[in-house]
Amino acid sequence: MVREFTAHELWFLVLAVRWTIALSAIAFVAGGACGLVVALSRVSRSGVLAGMATAYIKVVQGTPLLMQLYLVYFGSTLLRLGSDAWTAAALGLALYASAFLGEIWRGCIQAVPRAQWEAARALGLGYPSQLRFIILPQASRIALPPTVGFLVQLVKGTSLASIIGFTELTRAAAVVNNATFRPLMVYTAVAGLYFILCWPLSLLSEHLERRLERAGASPVSFQI
Amino acid sequence: MRARRRTVVLVALLGLLGLAASSLAPSVEAQNVDEIIKRGKVIVGVNTTTPIFGLVGTDGQPEGYDPDVARLVGKYLGVQVEFVPVTGANRLPFLLTNRVDMVIALFGITPERAQQIWFSMPYATEAATLVAPAGRAVKTVDDLAGLRVGVPRGAMQDLILTPQAAAKKINLMRFDDEATALQAMISGQIDVVGTGLLVNRTLNRNDPGKNYEVKIVLRPLHFGIGIRRGQIDLLQWLNTFVYTIKNNGELDAISRKWRQLPLEALPVF
Amino acid sequence: MDYVFQFGVVWREIDALLLGGWLTLRLSALAMVFGLVVGVAGALAKASRHQTLRALARAYVEAIRNTPFLVQVLLVYLGLPSIGIRLKPDQAALLAMVINLGAYTTEIVRAGIKAVPPGQIQAGTALGLSRWQLFRFVVCLPALRAVFPALGSQFILVMLASSVVSVISAEELTAVADTIVARNFRSFEVYLIVTGLYLAMCLAFQAAFAAIHRALFARWSG
Repeated sequence: MVREFTAHELWFLVLAVRWTIALSAIAFVAGGACGLVVALSRVSRSGVLAGMATAYIKVVQGTPLLMQLYLVYFGSTLLRLGSDAWTAAALGLALYASAFLGEIWRGCIQAVPRAQWEAARALGLGYPSQLRFIILPQASRIALPPTVGFLVQLVKGTSLASIIGFTELTRAAAVVNNATFRPLMVYTAVAGLYFILCWPLSLLSEHLERRLERAGASPVSFQI
Repeated sequence: MRARRRTVVLVALLGLLGLAASSLAPSVEAQNVDEIIKRGKVIVGVNTTTPIFGLVGTDGQPEGYDPDVARLVGKYLGVQVEFVPVTGANRLPFLLTNRVDMVIALFGITPERAQQIWFSMPYATEAATLVAPAGRAVKTVDDLAGLRVGVPRGAMQDLILTPQAAAKKINLMRFDDEATALQAMISGQIDVVGTGLLVNRTLNRNDPGKNYEVKIVLRPLHFGIGIRRGQIDLLQWLNTFVYTIKNNGELDAISRKWRQLPLEALPVF
Repeated sequence: MDYVFQFGVVWREIDALLLGGWLTLRLSALAMVFGLVVGVAGALAKASRHQTLRALARAYVEAIRNTPFLVQVLLVYLGLPSIGIRLKPDQAALLAMVINLGAYTTEIVRAGIKAVPPGQIQAGTALGLSRWQLFRFVVCLPALRAVFPALGSQFILVMLASSVVSVISAEELTAVADTIVARNFRSFEVYLIVTGLYLAMCLAFQAAFAAIHRALFARWSG
């Protein structure tokens, strides 16, 4: 049963976008939560904690995302956890995000001027309060542009989940391609859909960065 | 103070645990027929990217030889059928971790695979073949010298040709699945593709004029329904089921509908 | 966990894996060189006086940076034949990697050029240097030095991204790993070793970049 590539097939692709969005959102939230832990560990005074966080970041940043997804997917099989592609993809992308966000936020925390730390300590605040009231609010402002920029990377990263069998947009493209055999049209349409998802985020990130530069804060430009 | 940092760590850990725990939920183990009937549905892994045996229909549901057999399983058990798309790479892990009750997805019966799972009696005939346009003169494996031959990774064609590839100067190219290999064939990226007995029809429909035909039948194959090892009850039921639909004409009807061929004699074991 | 790890099967296939790794290294190295060339060209295009050139460069960068690499690879290998361009898997992989890297390096090089103090450029203009001479003598090396770390990271990202070209049958490291797994189902062991190999390649490239940095900029005082 081979079909033509019609609006019907295009609609099938558009519907698959919700899985891409869902996967990106979950990975971003879970990865963000862990990323904060990673960032704080990295700047912590405990050498052990900082060392572990650094090693974690270096391993995740030094290995392909596809390999990480494979390891989580087949590793969860070994541990007899439900090995569906959805969980493996979400977990794998969350771990990926936690390392990159941890590194980004570490840079932003360290970009806050030393004087702020000293002033906070002079006010008699303990370390957690220094973080909560003085450092993190300033760091978040600096962190916003690269964080939004990384979200774009995450959305693009979800395309790899297709390789472990999760039906998001790229896998839907393969399905439609096998029903219609029109690769140029199908993959161009899919590229277009990803573009519609990612470009607004990229523009937002650039806009935020320009605003930050104008405000004179020391920008941490994370080129990735 | 210190409690704040602990809270952050706790929240993050809980988040991760929650993610892991949610993954435990879907695996509902059904070890025998009664449990499946009690549950009210049978979860079947099917392929959704292979012509004839498993594609996605216009209604978004799987359609093809294998999905129809799966629907008959549901009919005879009196339960609903829940389809889970699987690929050649993940059908084994899905089965072994209880993500699906059974796999009806072009699962060729081989002793290596039988080390990890059990097969029912064959319900379909196929073969590992090499397909090329009529213009390409290929009669034996020796004629493949210098040609680009695309095969799915780990498939029968890969296992048969790889040991000979270097000596016979075959340019063997491995793709993640048959679907991508067929795409490569149509795009003209390969000269010969490893596929089944009837896929050349699909190729001819999409790429008319080249007259794709089966050049070499490397090895006859039969497909069986894959289930986890040790499920004697389910295996017995499935064999009874296959015997039934072979003899009451339903499997023949499926064969005529999707393969446009009557059902051939299927071996039993 | 009743799984018995068998790393022996991986060591038996180690030469196939190393051969795959060698292709990864070759593809990555070539992509880095050509990608940098494309990036410099793109950066110059974006700084050009002609509006069409600027618009084209911008469209190229935005299109590539906002679509997944996997989709780009599939478009090059499966889609281009529809308009008559048929590339072998290795060629398609390299082309996709160069196009992808080129977009990112365009932005990086552009940032590097912007980082050159305007005073230097003004001084150069005052000395009567042409635009080309300005670029070659005043802008090029300082810009490169400013963005060297960013370039290095991007290069490594492309090397890691090359694992994706396994889907179009380019027999690089990931493809070889997939084939081994498809035969013996020892997925976890194989992918663990291969991940280690990628990490080793990443560290090797980082060391190489550090050495290049020292060689180029050792006598730098500014």
